[in-house]
Amino acid sequence: MFDVKDLQVTVGGTEIIKGLTLSVPAGETHAIMGPNGSGKSTLAYALSGRDGYEVTGGAAMLAGTDLLALAPEERAAAGLFLSFQYPVEIPGLSAIAFLKAALNAQRKARGLEPMPAPELLKLLRAKAEALKIDQEMLKRPLNVGFSGGEKKRFEALQLAVLEPKFAILDETDSGLDIDALKIVAASVNAARAPDRALLVITHYQRLLDYIKPDRVHVLAKGRIIASGGPELALELEREGYDKYLRAA
Amino acid sequence: MNLADLPNRRNEAWKYSDLRAAVGDALPPLAQAPANAPAAGKLFASLKPIEIVFENGRIAHWPERNVRKASRVLSKQYPGEPRGATPLGAWAAELSPDEWMPIIEAGEDERPVWVRMVGDTSPTSGHARVGLVVGAGRTLNLIETYEGPAVGFTNVLIEGFVAEGATLNRTVIQDASEKAALVSTAQIKLERNGHLSQYVLALGAKLARIETHVNAEGDGAMVTLNGAYLSGAGRHADLTSVIEHKAPGGATRQLIKGVARKGGRGVFQGKIVVERAAQKTDARQHHQGLLLEDGAEIFAKPELMIHADDVQCAHGNTAGGLDERALFYMRSRGIPEAEARALLIEAFLAETIPNGLPEALRDELTGLIRTWLAGARL
Repeated sequence: MFDVKDLQVTVGGTEIIKGLTLSVPAGETHAIMGPNGSGKSTLAYALSGRDGYEVTGGAAMLAGTDLLALAPEERAAAGLFLSFQYPVEIPGLSAIAFLKAALNAQRKARGLEPMPAPELLKLLRAKAEALKIDQEMLKRPLNVGFSGGEKKRFEALQLAVLEPKFAILDETDSGLDIDALKIVAASVNAARAPDRALLVITHYQRLLDYIKPDRVHVLAKGRIIASGGPELALELEREGYDKYLRAA
Repeated sequence: MNLADLPNRRNEAWKYSDLRAAVGDALPPLAQAPANAPAAGKLFASLKPIEIVFENGRIAHWPERNVRKASRVLSKQYPGEPRGATPLGAWAAELSPDEWMPIIEAGEDERPVWVRMVGDTSPTSGHARVGLVVGAGRTLNLIETYEGPAVGFTNVLIEGFVAEGATLNRTVIQDASEKAALVSTAQIKLERNGHLSQYVLALGAKLARIETHVNAEGDGAMVTLNGAYLSGAGRHADLTSVIEHKAPGGATRQLIKGVARKGGRGVFQGKIVVERAAQKTDARQHHQGLLLEDGAEIFAKPELMIHADDVQCAHGNTAGGLDERALFYMRSRGIPEAEARALLIEAFLAETIPNGLPEALRDELTGLIRTWLAGARL
């Protein structure tokens, strides 16, 4: 479903991703772990098409679509979703208006009519309730004054509403207490589907107690330097990244 | 009055807005009284407003209800500010050729009064004057629009008197043509616990200045003076205000935001004066400008002059571009770039619309912002 081959990414003239190859088949959840500065967030931004993250080589395909040729909004319409480590606050724009704009823009890109307002509200209510998100929060300006946990839950709500083919969850666990972490992890688990692939990016093994990955990859110095089953995450937790950093 | 009398950038209060240059080579002749009754306005239908219409500054239509017809003699008894706080305001009072000035008095009926200043394509000078009287404990809901394909010079003076415990809600929509030169000066006096809540949406003109002077003379006078300007190519929108707190326990809340495109200019000048007697004044003023393209201009001059020692005052002023992180966040959710820009700008500007406005009025204002953004194709 999602295939990256020999990806190279430069930020501000410095090469950060140096030939990264990764495959996540439909129905699977993979985790990328790595120390700070290994290029985890750079990978997420480059795949989403953020300005300033220049892809200098390689390929990234999602269900047969060449992502790298597309603008960020076209990548989203093609089925890509990035859950942000630091969701952006937008004063003056309600969370509900934002979700409506996003959902209908994606529908339009796929040749569908906008979702009628009552149907949309019903959908949002149901999905919000499942994530224990207060309905009042939907009326508030997007992410403004949301706690760390609320922001991440709202990212999870967007994932649930937009139903992407492939989602990258960048440090979804950062800034969460254990209760919020369980809720967010449950939402990620609920998003697992036979026709969907997930990529969880994390620094710590803690999140993987709640989201069981099919495969774990170690990212260091801009490359995947080791891959394995869920036991790899436990080993990293026990022994740290040193062994891999020395070998890389 | 001659062209040479008009202020230009050598006058400190007009250094960003050169009225003389905008009016042109010669002052156009005074407008004649309108021949035909004007067509009814199309906005705010659900609010059932009482309409008063001026054409090129001349009275064209007034209703009988709630509006007192005053002669010039009566107007001298008018309890507002002494006229002439600004030279332009004084000229509007002196040069208005109509025999009488409408005075809008708040009554039992709280339907909004809609003052329409309509300009047509005749190159004329128009001077108009309107009085507002809000008696003790009453509320006046006023909507003012500046509209039509005007090409000349329009100069308006609004004199308002807000008595004890009374409220004036004033909403101004400045939507004149790109060939018009327009100055509207309001002088509003607030007595004890008087309340002015003002909102201005300015779309600019060749030059359009909405100037507000508030004399907060009574104890506990409350002022909300928000606004937004949207200045496209070839347009100049100026929001200028002077708020004077002269008695204890008053408050001001002022949030002004604006956007300018290439070739457009936005101006905000906001002065708040807290006199020695005005202890416990709480004044907040914020201006944020958004430069949408290279070649856009925004000039801001916030001023706080505090002569009392036990007050809370704060002001802030910023100008910059659109938040690129927010733009990327929205695009990553599938919202195309142009739509994301428009939504962000709308969100930025919508914050200035006071919460207390009637839903229908909020919707009209938001609709005008949306129409502008759709036409701007950013």
